[in-house]
Order: sequence, then structure tokens, then C-alpha cells
Amino acid sequence: MRFRLSLLGVHLVLLVGGGIMAFPFYWMLATSFKSPQEALQAQPVWVPERIKPANWFKAARLGDSPLWGGLGPGRSAELFFPGPEGLPPRALVPRSPGAFFDPVADGTKVEVARGEGGWWVRLTNTGEAGFRRVPLVVLWPKGVPLEPPLPPDALRSQGEYWRLEWVNAVPGALGYVFHNYLEAWDAAPWGRYFFVSFFTASVQVAVGLFLAALAAFALARIPFPGKEAVFVLILATMMVPGEVLLIPNYVLLARLGWLDTYYALIVPWLASVFGIFLLRQFYLSLPQDLFDAARIDGAGYLTQLFRIALPLSLPGLVSYGIFTFLGAYNALLWPLIVTQSPEMRTVQLGLLAFVSEAGSDYGALMAASAFVIAPVVLGYFVAQRQFIQGIARTGLK
Amino acid sequence: MRTYPLHGILGVGVLLALGLYAQRLGFLPAWAAWGLWAGYLPLALWGLLWGGWRAVPLALGLLAPLFPPLAFLGPLGAALALGRTLPEKAQAAFYGWALVWPALALLLVWQVFPTLYAFYLSLFDRVNFLRPAAFAGLQNYRILLEDPLFWRALGNTFWYVVFTVPTGLLLATFVAILLNTRVAFLGLYRTLFFLPYITALTAAAAVWRWIYHPEFGFLNWLLRTPGLDWLNTPTGVFALLLRPLGIEVQGFWAGPSLAFVAVMAMSVWHFLGYQVVILLAGLQAIPKEYYEAAELDGATFWQRHRLITWPLLSPTTFFLFTLGLIGAFQVFTQVYVLTPTGGVLQDTLTLAFYLYNKGFRDSDFSYASAIAMVTFLIILALTLVQRRVLERRVNYEV
Repeated sequence: MRFRLSLLGVHLVLLVGGGIMAFPFYWMLATSFKSPQEALQAQPVWVPERIKPANWFKAARLGDSPLWGGLGPGRSAELFFPGPEGLPPRALVPRSPGAFFDPVADGTKVEVARGEGGWWVRLTNTGEAGFRRVPLVVLWPKGVPLEPPLPPDALRSQGEYWRLEWVNAVPGALGYVFHNYLEAWDAAPWGRYFFVSFFTASVQVAVGLFLAALAAFALARIPFPGKEAVFVLILATMMVPGEVLLIPNYVLLARLGWLDTYYALIVPWLASVFGIFLLRQFYLSLPQDLFDAARIDGAGYLTQLFRIALPLSLPGLVSYGIFTFLGAYNALLWPLIVTQSPEMRTVQLGLLAFVSEAGSDYGALMAASAFVIAPVVLGYFVAQRQFIQGIARTGLK
Repeated sequence: MRTYPLHGILGVGVLLALGLYAQRLGFLPAWAAWGLWAGYLPLALWGLLWGGWRAVPLALGLLAPLFPPLAFLGPLGAALALGRTLPEKAQAAFYGWALVWPALALLLVWQVFPTLYAFYLSLFDRVNFLRPAAFAGLQNYRILLEDPLFWRALGNTFWYVVFTVPTGLLLATFVAILLNTRVAFLGLYRTLFFLPYITALTAAAAVWRWIYHPEFGFLNWLLRTPGLDWLNTPTGVFALLLRPLGIEVQGFWAGPSLAFVAVMAMSVWHFLGYQVVILLAGLQAIPKEYYEAAELDGATFWQRHRLITWPLLSPTTFFLFTLGLIGAFQVFTQVYVLTPTGGVLQDTLTLAFYLYNKGFRDSDFSYASAIAMVTFLIILALTLVQRRVLERRVNYEV
């Protein structure tokens, strides 16, 4: 019984700790689904309207496509507000755009008509082009019970009326749920940022791995004069903290004319002392007999490296790959220094720019943060064991 | 006849190529590059005498001033042509160096040379791209020692180490010990603790900024402290804690500002998972027999961990401690995203941040290099002291 209790205690402590660790993720995701009014509440909203399934069905009926919504040319969408006859509600497409307003939606015609048991608000696209978003404001008389066809993104009081605001009255189900993600994605050339990040990180991993494998093999398996000196030199470079290199490497890149190019993001980080050490350790742990046998069969050093050592050191390669990729993908300071143009921005720089531009649109900001970390987190869930062991291996001497 | 040092000429060739590029970029005077060329010449002649027609590619290297890569392509070509006619030992020497050189050359160019160059830069007066610099000797260092902002940054970094490294290690050890009790759902818990570490600091800091928001932040709601502007409060935490007791503390002893403590909390959260994973690996490497024996002797939970876990885990703890120390001197990203201006009254300024400000905002490369060199020296000294003092206790071989 005592044993069971202590086990319960362990679980309790771990759950509370894990909850604290996970909370920022939950809060990021929750906020990324919130409307601005929900996000800016003194009392936290735990479950935003946009992730309630009942609302998805409501949203699916609005707009041309049930998934992505939108309003094609000549098409119209109708919103039904049940209510008694009397003072009619007023509806308009707001003229004062928000931060990420789609200016095309200007040509929308808005009509309010009496139907059976309520009011119809009909939006008609009179223009030539289709819209993805049509913001809508409906003024609903106070004192009349309100049952909107889709929960409004903001509800304010305006004189005799309730002012109901929708950032998009034709969302479709996914357009409704992922509104902030779409806003954030459209606000900056994220595709380009992701390409730069992935490209530079992958090249760094691939070339770095190759160079480290060559050097590590020589240091572990080939008796050559001067080996000790090379080893001491490599050890010594390990003592130099990264920030010492910022200025001189910047000057070097400037003289090479490489600032603001892929070279600047890749080349300085190709040779990795950490990688050399890690792989050397691996090669040292392989039995010498393997190499002797190969030697007798007439294999040269290169054959030994590529046919024996490399395949056997796969865990080490994975470990180094994950570590280097994480470092490259998550880096901020170095890309910040050596790139200027938006075309060369990495994902992290894009996010940094977005942090200062997004202002109080925390929904979009959290959505951007979510998709910036998504590739790494997905990678973790796909290759969990490799991640954990790869990182754990960095601690072994 | 003595063996020809083919690996030697390869090394000279690589250095010659690098030297020629360095000369073109203005890092080396012309005579240095020509000196390397002159070093290559006799080695190449010796090679021709020794190897005959097969060693002809060595002569290509002499054309390196036209196309620098020839300086190492020549010896490589000669090695291919000579092939197995080389004796065993010479082959080992050549291949060893040939495999090491690509990585070594990159390290020389991007790490060894820059370290020396940083020191060289720090001896000048305001190096930037706008005007020629004047030699100033150690003037930058003299200014640095009287620079209140530098001391501020150093003090902040000191507090960062004192607050985050022990807190992180203690929490991580605690969690790792719990996880090591063969608890169910190990994978789930490990994921919960580990995820923050692989999350990009920029994104994580953006989220934490939102949690720290003065009006709508979650933390203020949780702590019932509406309107508390975490990231813009320059008052030291010791001062805040001691004020109700009627004790006023000033300056350094007021401790890190509330804003900086907020940054630290975020950092501990971020790095905890890494420490847990490393410590867990360390714990799993401790033989179970020790615990079984201790249990037979009737040792309590605390005795077991104080007498077995703690000493046997100390190499891992030492490693993490060193890493935390070095990392603390390079803290930048989270500070930059959470407090882009370095905080009210520069209360969240760290050394790396100050270096960035001086170098890339004020374009004073020489002063920034002086900051870098001093930081380097401090880290070096701390690591050496740590080795001396701690390592003796760490190696508790059984």
C-alpha cells in the first residue's frame, strides 16, 4: 500500500511538472484559434469558439466551398438571424480595414430582408474577382433576443444596438477554424522563409556530416604524423565561444562579398568540432579486427571508411544530423547579422519581423509561432527515439 | 632512399591556396603568400626527382597564383598517379591528412583565424567599413573596464548563471530521478519535458511574451497581479522582496531585475528537457546492483541518492554545469525577443546582447571585439578554475 501511494505521488508530481512545461504550448495553440476579442480578455478563454465542432457546421454553410468558403463573382451568401418583426437589423461591410484586410471585398453588396421567423442578411459579390474573406458588421437592436448564425468574433455595444463583427462572414469550416493561420501565412512570404531555412539547414547537415566523417575517420583509424597536433588544435577551437566569431566572420564574409547570400548562412558552420568528436568516438568503438580484415582483402582507407565505418556509425550520424539541423533551423543571431533582404530571411527572422509587425493581433502571432515550430515537433513525433537518444548521446564523453 | 613526404606538400599546398585567397581579400601581405609559394617550390622539385613522371601533377601547384585550388589539386593528382607505389606508411600519412584537411581548413578559416583576428581588431580605434582605422593599442580594453554598461552586462550575466544553472540542474535531477523509477507513461512525461528544448527560442519567446503581457497575459491572471508589466520592470528582485521588511538595497545587490528573472524563467523552461535527457542517460548508466546492495543494507531513499546517485552522476552534472556556464555567456535570442531594447535602463542587457549592440547597431567592430575577447578570457578562466576545483571531486571511481 505504501508503495502504491508513493507511485501515485510520483505520477502526481510528474503530471503537475509536465503540465507546467506543456502549458505554453497549450496557450499558444489556444490563442492561435481565438478571435482578437477572445484573446484580449482579462479572464482567460480556455476553449475558443473556433474549436467547438458545433460552430464548424455553422461555418461550413457559409461561403462557396464548405471547407474553405470564399465568395466567387456573382455569388452570394446568406446569414439567417432568427428574430421577431420590428426594428430591422443593419448590416455593412466595414470600411476601416484591420491589419490584414482583403481590399477586394469592397465591392460586396449587403441586403437585409425579412424572412419567415427572422432576418436574412445577404452578401452578394458584384465584382469580377472572388474573395476569400468578407468582413461583416451587423447592428442588432438591443432587447431583441440574439441568435447569430455563427458566433461573432467581436460583440460590442453601440448605442441602441449590439455591434456584431465577423472577420470573415464566408469562411467555410477550415477557413473558420484556421482563420488566424491563414492571416499569418498571407501576411509574409513564409514559403520563401521555410525554403531558406530548410535548404541552408539541410546543406549544413549533409556537407557537415561528410566532412566530419572524413576527419573523424582519419583521427580515429589512420596513424599519420601530426595527428596529435591536429587533435589539440581541434580541442582548442572548442574553447572559443561562438560570440567571439561573430565580428571577424562578419568582416570575412563582407570581404568575400558573401553577405546576404546562402554562403553566409551555410559555409561558416560546415566544419563542426562537435561532429568530429562524436563520430571519432564512434569509430574508436568499432573493433579493429573489422578494419584489419578489410585491409587484408585489399581495401584502401577510403573503402574502409565508406563501406565499413560509415554504415556502422549510423546512430552517430543521426545524432549529429538532428543536433545540427536543430541548431541551424532554430538559429536567430547569425541569420540576423548576415542577411538583410527579405528573400534571405530564415523562418526565425520572419517570425521576429512578424512579432514586431503583428502588434496586438496575438491570434495571428501565435499561429505563426505554431507553424514555425511545427516541422521540428512533427519530426520529433515521427522519430522520437532517434531524437532522445541523439540528444542523450551529446552528453557522453 | 628516404620516403617522400607527400602529406607535407599537400599541407603546404592547402595553406598556399588559403594564403592566396587571404591575400586577395586583403588579410595577408603579398610577401606571405609568396613565401608559401617559395616553400612549395623545393618540395615539388624534390617530388619530381623522387617520383619521376608520376609526380608531374605536383608541378601544377606552382601555377597556384593563377588559380589557387591548384595548390592542393596538384598533390592530390600526384597521389592518385603514384597510387600503390607509395609505401604503406606514406599512404597512411597522406590519406590521414587528406581526410582531415577539408574540415581542418574550414576550422582554420572560420574559427582559428577569426579568433586571432578578433584580437587584432580589438586593438584598433572604431573599425567599421566607413573609414580607415587607427591603431589604438589596448585603449578599447581601458574604456571597457570603465564602461558602466559593460559592468551592467557582466553583472546581469553573473546573476543569470547564479539563478538559472543551479535551478535548472536541481529541477532536472529531480525530474530525472522520478522518471528513472520505471514509472509508467515514461514516453509521455519525457515528451512533455523535452518538447520545449526543440522548440525554436524565437517562437517560444514570442509565446512567453504573450504569457507575460501586462493586461491580458495569463501569468497576471494566475497570480492575481493585474497590470504588472513583467518585462518592463527594472526593479531588482531582492529589492522587491526586501522592501516589505523595510530593507532598501541598491545597485548590484538589488539583484537581477524582475524583467530579467522573467527571461530566466523562460530559459530554465526551455533548457530543462535537455538536462533531463542527459541526466536520465547518466542515471541509467549507474549499475542497478549498487541500489540493490544499498537496499539490503536498509538505506533510505535519501541515503541512496545522496551516497550513490549524486557522486556517480557527478560527471554528468559537471558536464551540464560547464555547458550552462558557457551558454550563459552567450544568451541572446530569448533576451532579444522578450526585451528588444535590452530592457528599461538596460536591465536585461547580457554580454552577447551588448556585443551585438556595439558591433551591429553602433558599427563599432573593434569595441565589440574587445568585449568578445574579455568574455572569452572570463569563460576560459572559469572553465580552468572549474576543472581544477571540481574535477577532483567528480572522478569518484568505484
